[in-house]
Amino acid sequence: MKALVALVFTMFLVRSFAQTKIEGSVADDDGNIISGANVFLAGTYDGASTNENGEFEFETMEIGKKMLVIRFVGYKEFIRPMELLGTTIAIAINLDEEINELEAVVVAAGAFAASDVSRRTVFRAVDIATTAGATADIAGALNTLPGTQKVAESGRLFVRGGDGNETRTFIDGLVVLDAYGPSAPNTPSRGRFLPFMFDGISFSTGGYSAEYGQALSSALVLDSKDKAELTRTDFGILSVGGDAGHTHVWDKGSVAGKIQYTNLRPYVELINQEIDWDKAPVSIEGSGAFRHKVGRDGLFKFYGNFSRSNFSLHQHDIDDYNNSQLFDLTNSYQYINGFYKNHINDDWMVRGGVSYTGLATVTRTNENTIREYQRGVHFKTVAEGSVSDNVELKAGGEATVRFYDKIIAGQVAPAAYSFEEVIPAAFVEADMYVSNHFVVRIGGRAEFNNLISRVSLDPRVSLAFKLGAQGQASFAYGKFRQSPNDKFVMIRPELEAEKADHYILNYQYAKANRTFRVEAYYKGYHDLVKWIDHNFVDLRSSGSGHAKGIELFWRDNASIKHLDYWISYSFLDTKRDYLDFPHEAAPAFASKHNFSIVAKYFVRTIKSQLGFTYSFTSGRPYNNPNVEGFHVLTTPNYSDLSFNWSYLPSTSMIIYFSCTNLLGRDNVFGFEYSTVRSQNGEYNGRAIRQAAPRFLFLGIFITLSKDKSVNQLPNL
Amino acid sequence: MKTSLIILLLNLSGYSGAMRANDDTYAEAMNKRIQTVYSSQSIPTLQDAVNSLERIGLAEETKWEPYYYAAFGYIMMANQERESNKKDAYLDQASATIKKAAVIKVNDSEITALEGFVHMIRVTVDPASRGQQYSGLAMQTFGRAISLDPENPRALALLAQMQYGTAQFLGSSTAEACSTNEAALQKFVAFKSENPLAPRWGLSMAEGTRAKCK
Repeated sequence: MKALVALVFTMFLVRSFAQTKIEGSVADDDGNIISGANVFLAGTYDGASTNENGEFEFETMEIGKKMLVIRFVGYKEFIRPMELLGTTIAIAINLDEEINELEAVVVAAGAFAASDVSRRTVFRAVDIATTAGATADIAGALNTLPGTQKVAESGRLFVRGGDGNETRTFIDGLVVLDAYGPSAPNTPSRGRFLPFMFDGISFSTGGYSAEYGQALSSALVLDSKDKAELTRTDFGILSVGGDAGHTHVWDKGSVAGKIQYTNLRPYVELINQEIDWDKAPVSIEGSGAFRHKVGRDGLFKFYGNFSRSNFSLHQHDIDDYNNSQLFDLTNSYQYINGFYKNHINDDWMVRGGVSYTGLATVTRTNENTIREYQRGVHFKTVAEGSVSDNVELKAGGEATVRFYDKIIAGQVAPAAYSFEEVIPAAFVEADMYVSNHFVVRIGGRAEFNNLISRVSLDPRVSLAFKLGAQGQASFAYGKFRQSPNDKFVMIRPELEAEKADHYILNYQYAKANRTFRVEAYYKGYHDLVKWIDHNFVDLRSSGSGHAKGIELFWRDNASIKHLDYWISYSFLDTKRDYLDFPHEAAPAFASKHNFSIVAKYFVRTIKSQLGFTYSFTSGRPYNNPNVEGFHVLTTPNYSDLSFNWSYLPSTSMIIYFSCTNLLGRDNVFGFEYSTVRSQNGEYNGRAIRQAAPRFLFLGIFITLSKDKSVNQLPNL
Repeated sequence: MKTSLIILLLNLSGYSGAMRANDDTYAEAMNKRIQTVYSSQSIPTLQDAVNSLERIGLAEETKWEPYYYAAFGYIMMANQERESNKKDAYLDQASATIKKAAVIKVNDSEITALEGFVHMIRVTVDPASRGQQYSGLAMQTFGRAISLDPENPRALALLAQMQYGTAQFLGSSTAEACSTNEAALQKFVAFKSENPLAPRWGLSMAEGTRAKCK
């Protein structure tokens, strides 16, 4: 007994003497002190935080071998084995910076990423819906950003001297064929997809990732929302129709459906139109989305969209107004997208899916019936993850298969065309972080095209440097290719892919909700389709061109309370020698100066958000057969001031009003001329004008849910 | 003699067990830090308490409370911080820490309510652009916390505050928010827990809301 007590006593003594003091300091690699770091012995309570001088000290009763751990956000965890002997240990430690998504520099050249999830975006998905003049159209809102040239009678995205077909749309990485709804000649078309489906929108005006192919100028990458959060029913009563939608949510998934009916007929009866409608556009559109979580991180998404629309109008002869021709168009469209993503482990994830687009357009004129069918399937799988702390890798494979048919029946030149295009592709891209301040992205894309039996390899390179805490500079280079327009491929399937080289230099400064961005670029075009001797059938890939320009962007939602505004300016200098151009000239869709200012102001007292958009586009070249020369004349400048007003009378209702062209300006988009000389020896012509000076829209949106504090504001 | 021996042996067990603390030392260590995260308004002091809580959490693999209070500490740090990027960084830390707690204790009302609290603070960083997304998310998370335990006064008090803020923003009636808050206050009186480390905060927040309601 006594012996035991003695033993215990000695041990007690040993223990009290075995108190080890650990002290030291923590700094980063550059010697900057780190305060608030957690310094401790693994598996024990013993430890301390570093003080404002980066110093720490603590005592421990532990003896023997222990692990000293130091943790601080943004730095790699430091672990060192220590032998605790009861004597003081002094240690000075430098923590290595961790490559961290929030801190690290990103490649910003060419890209406008809009996300409601990420916080460092210049543009948000919700901005699309609240931009005046855009009437909740994605392209309409993106047309207020630098890099776009507004072609108001088209409604499409024309990027840096490229035409509307050079922008490709992807939903969850999967291609969308014909992303715009049909429209009457010289009236703007709308995107087929409503902005509120998406919580991430990345609009790239050049230099984009090797993941995206078959786009010469621009990639519009839309990320659909994950699982819905709330069971709700929505109704909309619109001046041009109505919609109804329901979302049902459960623990692991959600399902949503929406149906929309649009009828412009009463509206065009009421408001005088430049267009002589026989039947104004009527369309019915339905969409459905299903989301299901798989395991801890996996998600399956399904989305389907179908629509059918019809309109007809009288096209009047330029020489004789009483001589008119009926133009009747019916379009049906289906888009289905199945997407899956999951984590393989902590470092790697896979995503992939299949999309199907099917569309049929039937156009009837007095002489002909033209049927155009297109079906396309896109498969894709991508793996992305970290190879090491400093290297992120993305690699994937995909295949696009397209079937195209066009049948022209009737009195004038009946014909039938078809082609099947199969393009398998593989891509790989690595982000190499030299530090949080410097990243290099190198990638490449290999494609095979069955129509020309050729394999191509396109490199993509970009660099980004952080300059100070708020500024960063980036550079991007890439080679891009796209099959020529279907109307040329159907005639000569062996045409080369059209190609473009992009060189982009970008500087961006962002601080507390203010962003300044300037970008300069050069784009070289090769192998554009060219007509030989004005013969539409003899097509060659011998055209070329270039575009260069400089763009400015400023956004500020901090300086004035409740006011959010952005200003964009783009300068473009572009020339091409393609199609039937007799020599190099600026194309008809290219405008030298584009300027826009978008402002949104929330007025609390009237529970309203007011929005204004002013846009200006300098004149575009056009031809007048009565005047010598090609594209020597310029249309008048275009400008528009649009307004919208969202009023929230209660938490479950929104009243929305919008009006384009408040000032009623008579914008002229171009001129068209008769093909034959009139009696006085001149070609008669007329101006292409807006369908109506203004477009007015009124909608009432009601949301029913268990939680009454939810309305459709994010949708508007 | 016997008692002193036992005391000594107890001491020994602390010594030989490599500081695998018994419940008393755990509770003692926790209580000290809980007091700090409840009361401190200084970011360094909160960071120090959060660091201690994380150490305890790492040592006590089956306990959810250290992560719960560490997350609470981060939320308080976000509240004290003025710069929005830093605010977000603290909220990111809070979210990550809540996830650790939720792995240890699945489907817990208190942990879920704290998750909603993070969403709610996110709104305050940039109400104009984040309001719609995060206020819906916060409301829904509070709803889930209430359905997990209808007696949880904190979930109700937070929901009431969120409803109050939304009503005020839209200039609509605060009646619903105030009645939710009254329900929360009743639950605070009735609240009992067998766990001495169970969350106790929120009463003064609900009283504050009541004062605004009057």
